[in-house]
Order: sequence, then C-alpha cells, then structure tokens
Amino acid sequence: MPQVVGKQYKEILKKYLESHSEEDLYVGQQFSRRFIEKEIAPEDVISIHKTALLELHPELQDEVWDSLDFLIEMMIHYGFTLRERQSLIRKQEIIQMEMNVATKVQNTLLKTESPIVEGLDVGWISEPARQMNGDYVHFINREHESSVAVADVMGKGIPAALCMSMIKFGMDGLVGENSNPGKALSTINRIVEKSVDDSMFISMFYGKYNSENKMFSYASAGHEPAWHFSNETGTFLELDAKGLLLGVKVDSVYEERSVYMQEGDFIVMMTDGVTETRTEEGFIEMKEIQNLLLEVKEKSASQIAEHVYNNLTEAQNHRLSDDFTIVIFKKK
Amino acid sequence: MKRSSVEIITEWDIVAARQLGRNEAKKAGFGTVDQARITTAISELARNIYLYAGKGRIEIERVTDGGKDGIKVVASDEGPGIPDLRKVMEDGFSTSGGLGAGMPGVKRLMDEFKVISEPNNGTTITATKWLH
Amino acid sequence: MNLQVNILEDNSVQYFKVVGEIDAFTAPVLKERLATVQSVQGLKAQLDLSEVDYMDSTGLGVFVGFYKAVTANGGHVKITGLNRRLNRLFEITGLDEIIDIEMRESEDNDGTI
Repeated sequence: MPQVVGKQYKEILKKYLESHSEEDLYVGQQFSRRFIEKEIAPEDVISIHKTALLELHPELQDEVWDSLDFLIEMMIHYGFTLRERQSLIRKQEIIQMEMNVATKVQNTLLKTESPIVEGLDVGWISEPARQMNGDYVHFINREHESSVAVADVMGKGIPAALCMSMIKFGMDGLVGENSNPGKALSTINRIVEKSVDDSMFISMFYGKYNSENKMFSYASAGHEPAWHFSNETGTFLELDAKGLLLGVKVDSVYEERSVYMQEGDFIVMMTDGVTETRTEEGFIEMKEIQNLLLEVKEKSASQIAEHVYNNLTEAQNHRLSDDFTIVIFKKK
Repeated sequence: MKRSSVEIITEWDIVAARQLGRNEAKKAGFGTVDQARITTAISELARNIYLYAGKGRIEIERVTDGGKDGIKVVASDEGPGIPDLRKVMEDGFSTSGGLGAGMPGVKRLMDEFKVISEPNNGTTITATKWLH
Repeated sequence: MNLQVNILEDNSVQYFKVVGEIDAFTAPVLKERLATVQSVQGLKAQLDLSEVDYMDSTGLGVFVGFYKAVTANGGHVKITGLNRRLNRLFEITGLDEIIDIEMRESEDNDGTI
C-alpha cells in the first residue's frame, strides 16, 4: 500500500513542480487526508517525499537529500506524539462512555420523590453545570412531615457524586427526634467528617414542614440562607441559622429555628449557583432574584422555581457556570 | 550473533549508543525512517538510564527468527526500578516526565517491547524491530 | 486566569499575599503553595486576600484544608483583607467562627456591584 501512495504522491508532486498551480495544491491537500486516514506517520510522509523527489530530480545537490534525512529525524517525535494523542482520544471516548453510565447510576441512586403532605405545594429544579451534579436535593416523607435537604458538595464531578451517596444513606437512617433539622445535621456532619478528604466539604440547608402545626423548622450547615416570603407583608425574610459546613469539625452544633407558614407564604431554598449567578455585568443581586419571585408569587411552587431558573439561565446566555438548585415549599 | 554494547554514564554515552544503533540498523538493511526510529528509541532508553538510574548499559544485537532479520536493543540498569509498570506504559504519562517517561513512545517505535523491573532491583527493557 | 502567591517570612509569622481570582483552575496553585508550610509545628500563618476579588467554593476548600492541617499541628491561621463578598462567604459557611478573619479596610472598594 505505501508504494501505491508513494506513486500517487510522486505524480501529484510532479504536476505541481511543472504547473505551480493552485489546482494542484488543492489536489495535494485532498491527498494529505489519505495520509491521515492510513495513519501514515509524518516521518514516513517525508520519506515518501524524498523518494519521489529522488526519482523526479536525481540531479539535485546532496545537501537537499541530507537535509531531508535530517527532517525525518526531526519528525520522529512528532510522529509518536501524534500517535499518543490518537490513543488518548480513544481513551477519552471510553471515559466519556463510563461517565455516561456513572451519571445514570447517580440519577437512579439519588432519585428523590417530591413530598406529598397536606397543605404544602413543592416545586424544585436541580440542574448540573457539567455532566454530574454537585448539588443535591433529598426529600423525606413521614406522615404529616416533609423534610428536605439542599446540599452543595464542594468540588464537582465524580468525587462530589460519591460523597452524595454517603449523605443519602446517612439521611435515610434518620428517624424520630433525629430527623429534626439541628440533630439531623449533627449526625450527617459526623458521617461526613469521618469519611471525606480534608479540603472537601458540604454545605447543607435542612428544612422540615409539619402539616399539623404548620411550622417550618430549619437548620443550616454553612449554607446560603433560605428566604421566607410572607404573603401578608409582601416581603422576604432571611432564614439564617448558625452552623458550620459539614465535614470541618466533628462536634459542630447546629442551631435550629422555625417559622409559622401562613396561606400563600413560601420558603425558597437555593444553592450558590443561584445566588452567585455571574452575568457579563457582574454578580446578580439578591433583590433581582426576589423580584423574579414576586412576579410569580401567585403561581404554583413548580412554576415559581421554573420562572427563576429560566430567567437566570437566560441572563447567563444559557450556560450555567455552577450547579443550579432551587426548592420552593409553598403553603396552600 | 554479533552483540555490542555501550555503558551509559554521561550524556555523551547517549550519543555513542545512538551511533552504534544507527550503524547496526543500517547494516541490517533498515531504511532511513526505520533507522531514525530505532535510533530515537535507543536515545530515549539511554536517556532514562542517564537521568533516573545514573548508570546502565545499552546492548545491541542483530537477530533472526524464522528467516526474519531484525535488531534487538536491551537497556539495563541497577537503578531504583519502576514502581508502577502499568502506569508507565499508559499514554499521557510521558508528559509528566519522571521515571519511565516516554515508554509508550518507545514501544510504538519498535515492534516488540518487554520491561522487567523490580523496586530497588533495576530495570531491563528489551525492544526489537524486524525488517519487513 | 492567573494567581500569584507570594510568601514572606516576618519573624515567626508566615505571611502569604495572594493576588488574583481563586477558582477551580487556580485553587490547586494556592493549595500547593500552602502545602509547603502546613505541617510546620506551631505555624503562625497570615493570608492576605486584599487583592482577591473573587473566590468560589473550591478556594474555600483550600482554606478549610489548610486550617485543618495547621490546627492539627498546633498552629494558627489568620485571613485578612476580605472584601464584602468574601467576608459574607466566610460568615455564611460558619468558618468565621473558627478561623480568625479580618475585613478589608476600604470594604466599599470591593469591585462588586
């Protein structure tokens, strides 16, 4: 086969040396694709060139032949770097396939069901910036109570995803009094502290709605404060509770607070992918997000979440710079 | 079969090993490109010895196998050895530099390639190229 | 994006001046530089972030890791020159309760909108 290629190359070169025409250069360019298809190394291309030239113009000076030999020598490294690159591309394709499987596993493993509890309308969106989501939402339903954990695992991708599975199993084990926000966070903190790398941590907001007394109780492990929209006053109140990130100190204590929810009130829980939205003009202001919420305050919880998501992604030209999560608990 | 060798102690010995390899490859009847490939492979192997083992040896031998002629390069040293052979043979590792860098490249330049290495017991790499 | 980390030793205090944005791409640089000193017994480290206008959670991770390593070896970490946004980040995460932090003197001049 190389002989055939060599022969064709010689013909093309010969034509060009006679005509100097653009047309022949175009033919040459097309022909170079065949070199690549047949995985002919750069050093072989020069060798083919040298052979062709030797047949066409044997009268040329020795310096020409010697310099072509020198060029062959120069190209050896290019050749094997090229082959290494080709093999890395193939390897990357395999990794991509594995990532796709991992994402599916993550989605199945971390699947959570929106709570159905009397008098509460729940809506939420969690969109990853890259393939795997570093934000995590998990709901737990127990009779008249609905709990939600909104977490942001520092670091993205696979390590974050593995970390989340750990949180999920920690949370599923929480029953009775241990499912109260403050206690729940201390328990999860102990699990995380024992298991993660020093520079890895998780922020988490944990909220629980009780349909019997209509109280929303919450605690925060270094997470963005949630907002409570009061339908009566038409204003937002920050739901801030003291507490350190998960995984930093083994004996962290988490303050627990609660608010009463009236009809039309809603709670907004977010990750910093929402509050730290970065547009061309800089960071988005809290006020802007609150205005978006006000525009749709009469709508359902899902519609409210979608409205914020659509507007903020649009502000970023539909490219998320960080994982985006918003959860709305609305009192019907 | 004829066998010749070069001790690798200084950087100049790398050049000597290259020269020996090129002469032998030429005598064996390899074309310019394959001569350059064999020489580059020897160069990489000798350089690894020089940089990471301190000293060692490159042996070059003309070989025949069932009518096929070829050239065999043996690079041996008593250096620290390669702790993780699998990693060294992975593509992309060469860019990180360090011990065993460029091994996949050498493997591609030649037809056959074998590494024996034990921590603290040195490394022996055998690479063969056949005349086609 | 570039990140510069300059180290200055003043008496017994290791003083780090960080210049640039700390994000997923630059955080490893910072981590590497800090790692060179974090195992020193009784280290007193001061990190000056007065020329850091942006930091994301990856950067925070580096500081948490550094804090943990230094305190484990009986040392102390102080972070100074925080702008309003960075200060808020330390407050929200509760890290201000365990790490000694100080805000920038001219905290209005923090480049945020």
